Amino acid sequence: MLKGTGASAGVGIGHALVVKEQNLDYSAVQFAGQQQETERLKAAASAVSQRLSNMAAEMTEKVGEHAAEILSGQIMMLNDPFMMGQMEEQIAAGNVAEAAVDTVCQTFIAMFSGMEDELMRQRATDIGDLRARLLKQLLGLPDVDLAHAPAGTVIVAKDFTPSMTVGISRENVVGIITEIGGRTSHSAILARALEIPAVLGVPGAADTIQNGDSIAMDGEFGHVYVNPDERTLKDYEARREEFEHQRQMLKAYLNKPTVNADGRAVGLYANIGKPEDAQAALEKGAEGIGLFRTEFLFMDRDSLPTEEEQMNAYRQVAALFAGKEVIIRTLDVGGDKEIDYLHMKKEENPFLGHRAIRYCLDNPETYMIQLRALLRAGADHKNIKIMLPLVTGLEEIRAAKAMLEKAKKELAAEGLPFDANAQVGVMIETPAASQIADLLAQEAAFFSIGTNDLTQYTLAVDRGNPDVASLYTHFHPAVLRSIANVIKAAKKAGIPVGMCGEAAADPALIPLLLSWGLDEFSVSASAVLATRRTISLWSQQEADDVQAEAMNLSSVKGIQGYLASMIKK
Amino acid sequence: MVSKMTKIVNPMGMHMRPAGMFAQEMMKFNSDVVLVFKDKEINAKSIMNLMAACIKCGSELEVRCTGDDEQAALDKAVSLIESGLGE
Repeated sequence: MLKGTGASAGVGIGHALVVKEQNLDYSAVQFAGQQQETERLKAAASAVSQRLSNMAAEMTEKVGEHAAEILSGQIMMLNDPFMMGQMEEQIAAGNVAEAAVDTVCQTFIAMFSGMEDELMRQRATDIGDLRARLLKQLLGLPDVDLAHAPAGTVIVAKDFTPSMTVGISRENVVGIITEIGGRTSHSAILARALEIPAVLGVPGAADTIQNGDSIAMDGEFGHVYVNPDERTLKDYEARREEFEHQRQMLKAYLNKPTVNADGRAVGLYANIGKPEDAQAALEKGAEGIGLFRTEFLFMDRDSLPTEEEQMNAYRQVAALFAGKEVIIRTLDVGGDKEIDYLHMKKEENPFLGHRAIRYCLDNPETYMIQLRALLRAGADHKNIKIMLPLVTGLEEIRAAKAMLEKAKKELAAEGLPFDANAQVGVMIETPAASQIADLLAQEAAFFSIGTNDLTQYTLAVDRGNPDVASLYTHFHPAVLRSIANVIKAAKKAGIPVGMCGEAAADPALIPLLLSWGLDEFSVSASAVLATRRTISLWSQQEADDVQAEAMNLSSVKGIQGYLASMIKK
Repeated sequence: MVSKMTKIVNPMGMHMRPAGMFAQEMMKFNSDVVLVFKDKEINAKSIMNLMAACIKCGSELEVRCTGDDEQAALDKAVSLIESGLGE
């Protein structure tokens, strides 16, 4: 099995069509004089522009205006008088039109690739695409024609350029596999818009996979099977059917408000681990970010990320979700998350040890960088909320808030813009926090229940240990009472309470959460629509009845069985 | 030459869509339109220059227009920027 980045969910089964890169070598082209080269350049630009316009029109019709914007962007770049002027200057200096295009595009590619802003870095891909189109036109090379690919084609290419995307349709192309590209690349966005499963960033795919190979791929998990055996194929066929069924059913819930059957609105947010995930969350209809884990910034590197680096990552998400809430959890290291350069001590019981807020408060120089970055990142949109992990007592909230106040003073003194009113809330994930939720509410502006750790700590079960993992369940009455207690305390104190653990998307638990009055459900992007649907199926009265009945039961099996039987299909 | 200070208000700043729209609108005028941002002069008719300048939300900049329709160009530029560049 080959592995890459799952960039567009869905299961694809078909035969490979390997798209080889064309040779764009122009060293044999002779300079034909300034006037003639300029004319060739202009003719090529106008032909490419015309072609792109046709594609954009086709694309708008096929997948909507938003996806076609990438192409209209390329047309505008192509018609940029400044860029054209630079190319003409290259020709005036004695270069052939091909060299003029190449040199000027490469300069812009280098410029945009070096930018901090992810969105701007993607422009480098556009210019690269434009360069290839212009060179192909000038050299008289044919376009790769994917429009006539036979039904059941899985396209395999080094990179999937926006212009390649245009020729294809769901009718004939069932999957896309590339060697480069990630979840936020154009290819990914377009593949999602076309609803074609895509696995990107599979090293060596275009060499390993041969034309005509049988392919089974999963665009959610990033798995690719080349010439799979009978059993795998059967398995994938079943999954494809299930996936398509779900997709059709859930489509009705896109861009709809999240309301229960009585029309009462609740918040439906997404959990993300990287700024890049925010785009997918938005596309899936998330109304905010309920948990932005920040560990990714600290992992897979040799030194602490700088304040600027952190700020840019946070700000990117804040900008994408402007006008909506973005809850960012401060560094949750320790436990099972090790970061070498922090030189944390080996511990006997890492989950009961020096982790998360404990580590951060004891290492103020590290923590301060993050707090400053968070405050600064909120300057533009004032939508960032700060969430403290693994809190067990009021002292921790007070200590963190004191550091934040200090950070604000520093930033003000330095004249840097920041959000002076950023709210500070608590992730409720220890039995201690749940027990004293009423006390924590004095200092916390909001709660978010982290059911994964709360379950593990409440039940004293390591879910990674196969011998006890079966004991790990959020249907244990101790966990349920704990959740109810937290929600009740928040209601009494008048602060919002959400849930960002996996349990928030569990259709068996949702009626209980609705009954208790959970304000905000934060789930993985892929679970947003299904959760919205589940919420819409329950009236308050029904949820209350099921909740009362479930809480009257005393065993895990009894509760779990009852709630499973009440799931609304 | 006429000029005016203004401020970018759309959340994402001068990325592709607003930059493209702005450049296209500016191309309709005969006058030269230049944005002065962080002491750099940016050709407002060039989407590439506009994007390359990394102008973020909240950035203050000066619009300078020179030519036979300079006042109309300036008014249009400032009103586009202040209304959030279509975002």
